[in-house]
Amino acid sequence: MKPLRMRTLRHRSRSVLIVALALVTSTAFADKKGSKPKPAPTAGGGGGAGSGAAKGGGDAGGEIEMDSDSGAAKGSASAGAGSNVDSGEIQMDDDQNKPGDLAADLNASDQSTAVVKSGEVKKTPISWKDITVVIRKPFLKVRRTELNPFVATTMNDNMIRHETIGGEFAYWLTDVLAVGVEGQYYVHSFEEPYDLIARQARRLPTVNQYNWSTALDFHYVPVYGKFAVLDHKLITWESYFTAGIGVGQSEVVPRDKAFPGFTNLLIQPNIGVNMRFFLAKWLTINFGIRDYLFIDKFEPTNRSAMSNATAAEAQANADSAFVNNIMFQIGLSFWLPTSFDYTTFR
Amino acid sequence: MMKPTLLLFVGAALVGTLATDALADNNSNASQTGGRRQNDLAQQVAVRHRRLLVKNRFEVTPLFESSIDADYQHTVGGGLKLEYHLGDMFSIGVIGVGSTSLHTGVVDKVLATLPDTPSDTSKDPSKTQFLDHLNSIPIHGAAYISITPWYGKLAAFSSAFVAFDFYFQAGVSFAQLKSDCPPNVCTDTHPGTSLPGQNDMSIPPDNDPKNDPPLNDGNRVGLYLGGGIHVFLSDFLALDLTVRDYAFSDNPSGADYNADQFVGNSPTLGDDNRFLHHLFFGAGLSIMLPTTVKRTP
Repeated sequence: MKPLRMRTLRHRSRSVLIVALALVTSTAFADKKGSKPKPAPTAGGGGGAGSGAAKGGGDAGGEIEMDSDSGAAKGSASAGAGSNVDSGEIQMDDDQNKPGDLAADLNASDQSTAVVKSGEVKKTPISWKDITVVIRKPFLKVRRTELNPFVATTMNDNMIRHETIGGEFAYWLTDVLAVGVEGQYYVHSFEEPYDLIARQARRLPTVNQYNWSTALDFHYVPVYGKFAVLDHKLITWESYFTAGIGVGQSEVVPRDKAFPGFTNLLIQPNIGVNMRFFLAKWLTINFGIRDYLFIDKFEPTNRSAMSNATAAEAQANADSAFVNNIMFQIGLSFWLPTSFDYTTFR
Repeated sequence: MMKPTLLLFVGAALVGTLATDALADNNSNASQTGGRRQNDLAQQVAVRHRRLLVKNRFEVTPLFESSIDADYQHTVGGGLKLEYHLGDMFSIGVIGVGSTSLHTGVVDKVLATLPDTPSDTSKDPSKTQFLDHLNSIPIHGAAYISITPWYGKLAAFSSAFVAFDFYFQAGVSFAQLKSDCPPNVCTDTHPGTSLPGQNDMSIPPDNDPKNDPPLNDGNRVGLYLGGGIHVFLSDFLALDLTVRDYAFSDNPSGADYNADQFVGNSPTLGDDNRFLHHLFFGAGLSIMLPTTVKRTP
């Protein structure tokens, strides 16, 4: 399917101007029928009708409405001004500027004039709840491939810490659903209690190290949003859930180095929640928490030259336990293709 | 009738379009500085008509808090956060939490293997000795300044639109530590030091830290760092999720850390306390006062 070519802002400004002139005309007709003229909105840089069409955006130009609550007010202000639109304005919702909505907007304009000034929020008959579309998404993922190198660290083990380096290759079936394959390589270090328990309580902890893991993951994005940094720059982000199934390998760290360890192949379902911040059309930064769940086998406590001396014997008599390995992940995602086209009007 | 009106409409549109382009060009020229074209947006605030959800408001937050990845004792409790937002970005506040303690898995596993009454020659601690040396944190808190550099809103399942902000905090932490080792368990009255004996002889230290007092109770003052998010459920209610780090001097096990064969807290003889980070996760419900909000121009 050939993607639709989006009109430029200049085209848009002309179109809006034409619509605005039509609104002025229809308003004039309405005046002839006896309705009282509405005062021109004063807030939001409304330059008034007519010539305001050109400049009006001196203040309103480039405005990005964060709060839908004022969206109705702003929409009415623009409509009331007749053409208070600047070429730099990011249009929130075309429906707000429909001629058919003008009457409702005008009815709300008196109240909205007060609303846009500093002061208490006043509920208007046109609620912000009526507005379900904010702006079009600044980042599309559908039919794009994500290459996500990441590093991770253990969050919930006070004996042994694992750091991993890994990567994920994900394909986005829709803008909210993806399937991917991940792999991780683990390195470990021992935490303070590992040594302290041995010295203070004279007990050698039984721990396993993890060597590698891989998984098939599914990602779902239910939450997206945007935020302003220091009241200046807007950054969009999203939060997504992950669920998957995979395999991994753990290895017993022998309490006594005289005895050999053994490895276990683990079936590892995983669940997680992540946040992604959009830095460019081809680059995002991701933070996430992932819980890998599995049943691991640990070195038996009664190991000696007479008992469980070999790896096979120890593995056969190993103690099993259910493990939640919670990891914090941070990574960059590179998106292919590096750009995208919108296929619908904003 | 229609034709002249349409012609007038189109003519006016053309004139308006030309005027628009001309003014746009003027604006562009005016915004050119040093031969470089700049967008008008560069000088604008990110958001207009924004609800000032925190500015000049007092925040009262009953909260729940739990330690993260504690070594020996989980600390779980409830408390209150009081914060005043001096502006849209800066605020000052205090937090206080009362807690109870729960054994971690490590403690349970070690306890299961310790003897009730070890032999005199054994270096293994008894169950009672091990447990009575552990300390708890019944009260902790902080006084801090906070910065809220990020605010925004999010859509959940394309139906729920809520405002949120991220904040970061730094300040001074305090904690009351508690350990209770009775004299019949912690029997050593002179850990790490010799006592004068008969005939100018001295009684040497027993070099057995198991029976030393843990010396890990009392009040502590340290550093505090935090970061969290407000998710505004309404104009005056917000879900408050925070990760906090209370860092202060501590010896959670109450045992010999520096391997000098006794438990001490003296900088000269040997101190087993060290500067430790105590991570907590907190969840609370913030009530913003006054309950009404103002807007930016």
